[in-house]
Amino acid sequence: MEDIVCNGCSLLCDDVSAEVSGKTVNSLGLCKLGHAHLEAAVKHKIGSKDKDLEKAAEILASSERLLLYGWAHATNEAIEEGLKLASTLKGHFASSVQMGSMKAMSHSIHSKGLDIDLDYVRNNGEFIIYWGADPSESLHRHPSRFAVLPRGEKIPEGIESRTIGVVDVRPTETMKMANHRLILPAGSDAKLLDLINSEIEGKSSIKEKVLGIPGSELVGFVRGFQKSDCTVIFYGSGIINSGNQEAILSGIENLVEVLRSTGKEAYALPMFVQPNTMGVINASTKGKHQATSFERLTSGEFDTILVVSDDALANLPGPVAKALAKTQIVYVGPPGGLTDKRAVVSIHTMDTIIAGTGTMTRVDMKDIQFKKWAATKDNDTIVDVLQKLKEHVSKKKP
Amino acid sequence: MFIYYGDKTVKLNPMELYNLLPKTNCRLCEPKTCMAFATKLTLGDISPEDCPPLLEAGFEKNLQKLREMVAPMLSAEATGIKLDETKCTGCNNCVVVCPVDVAAEPSTSEGKAAMSKDTVFRVENGISKIINLEKCRRFPPDRLNCRVCEQYCCTDAIEIW
Repeated sequence: MEDIVCNGCSLLCDDVSAEVSGKTVNSLGLCKLGHAHLEAAVKHKIGSKDKDLEKAAEILASSERLLLYGWAHATNEAIEEGLKLASTLKGHFASSVQMGSMKAMSHSIHSKGLDIDLDYVRNNGEFIIYWGADPSESLHRHPSRFAVLPRGEKIPEGIESRTIGVVDVRPTETMKMANHRLILPAGSDAKLLDLINSEIEGKSSIKEKVLGIPGSELVGFVRGFQKSDCTVIFYGSGIINSGNQEAILSGIENLVEVLRSTGKEAYALPMFVQPNTMGVINASTKGKHQATSFERLTSGEFDTILVVSDDALANLPGPVAKALAKTQIVYVGPPGGLTDKRAVVSIHTMDTIIAGTGTMTRVDMKDIQFKKWAATKDNDTIVDVLQKLKEHVSKKKP
Repeated sequence: MFIYYGDKTVKLNPMELYNLLPKTNCRLCEPKTCMAFATKLTLGDISPEDCPPLLEAGFEKNLQKLREMVAPMLSAEATGIKLDETKCTGCNNCVVVCPVDVAAEPSTSEGKAAMSKDTVFRVENGISKIINLEKCRRFPPDRLNCRVCEQYCCTDAIEIW
């Protein structure tokens, strides 16, 4: 067994190991999602790229309105290369992070400094709240590695030293670990947040059932905030699906600020699933992105799309995916998926878990370095392909 | 399926129990087939008396033998852990909360995955495995009514009786 780093989700687990023997893949510590991801990645067959590189460069160089799209599954180094290629080709660099629900998720929490290192959460987080997030379904190791179960410097008894709250519109598996389980009517999150803020500030007094939640339960939940010296709210895609995401995110910001004004520590962190969403957000906040919208993708503005390491046709909303499918697509990334199949040219690369090189940025903005291991082969990374594409197009489009 | 029986750990085998059943698939019991009945019997979800043909004349010896085989599950000292691999997501919750794991491999207390062969639980190929059941605190010498792994298994993959 060798140490590896998993890119099956945004937790980027770096305490796991694996070995490949023939067609058998064995792992230790990887969750079900991570192991399935590793098994799929090991089976990828990467063929010769020379002809495809030439053809792809031809298409990209002749494009007049190029979109470079994807990136949430690519390394930070690949994103840098993509930005250079976009500059060379005068193309438009974009990702799903700037659009729809992801745009709301990546909104101002980070720019306002409300987030915190996950290791700090492990060592100090007393009141942990999953709001519209169910890690049991998508980020399996989040509670055991960072937020709920592990022991830390100020959390000597692990979960027994913490209080856990889960807020959702339905019963979830994560609720099994929770002290406070609040099930809300869909779309009422912002109202609940306002109520909690008012209660903490002493502007109201909860006595009766609110939003279907008994008053005593709600008062207990609010007392949890007041008693805790360090509160961390993990918000997930549930708040996006409620329809008024901006109001809910503002409510979470207000709650963090209200708690801080009482002298307590409070933080909020998103629960992204895609492994390098934060890497893309970093590039975005540094002004390296231009604004994009679903309307621009569906309007036919772009004549060619270079999709990098993202199954855009499978992940984007139906009408947007249909519009993109009519556009000339060049795909760079691990084999498989609708976008790969639909592409005029596909240049396949190793998945980053196999490539074992480069960095991705975890949800708490910590850069995680991938590790080379026995399954790693050189020169089959997205960075290599993008560098070669840049060389080819530079010759064609000096 | 392991059960503690006296001073040793015994493994109940569904096929051994199946061989003592009428094997007629009469569909008079809830599991409907004799093999499904044997599996549930192994897990302690059902008792030999739930098989109507087994209570009829001619099966007295088989019934007696089955009662003896599942008896440890009914006694006060009996304990066992079921880990349903189809429900397990490999979340590592059991690894991190298990006090024996923390003592055997202290880094698990900080949320790290178990790598040694000394823990009770270890996540292998995406699924938690019980690799040292005899180290569980429910077994001698501790005989504690510890159920933390079951308590924090979000998918109910772990069941203790």
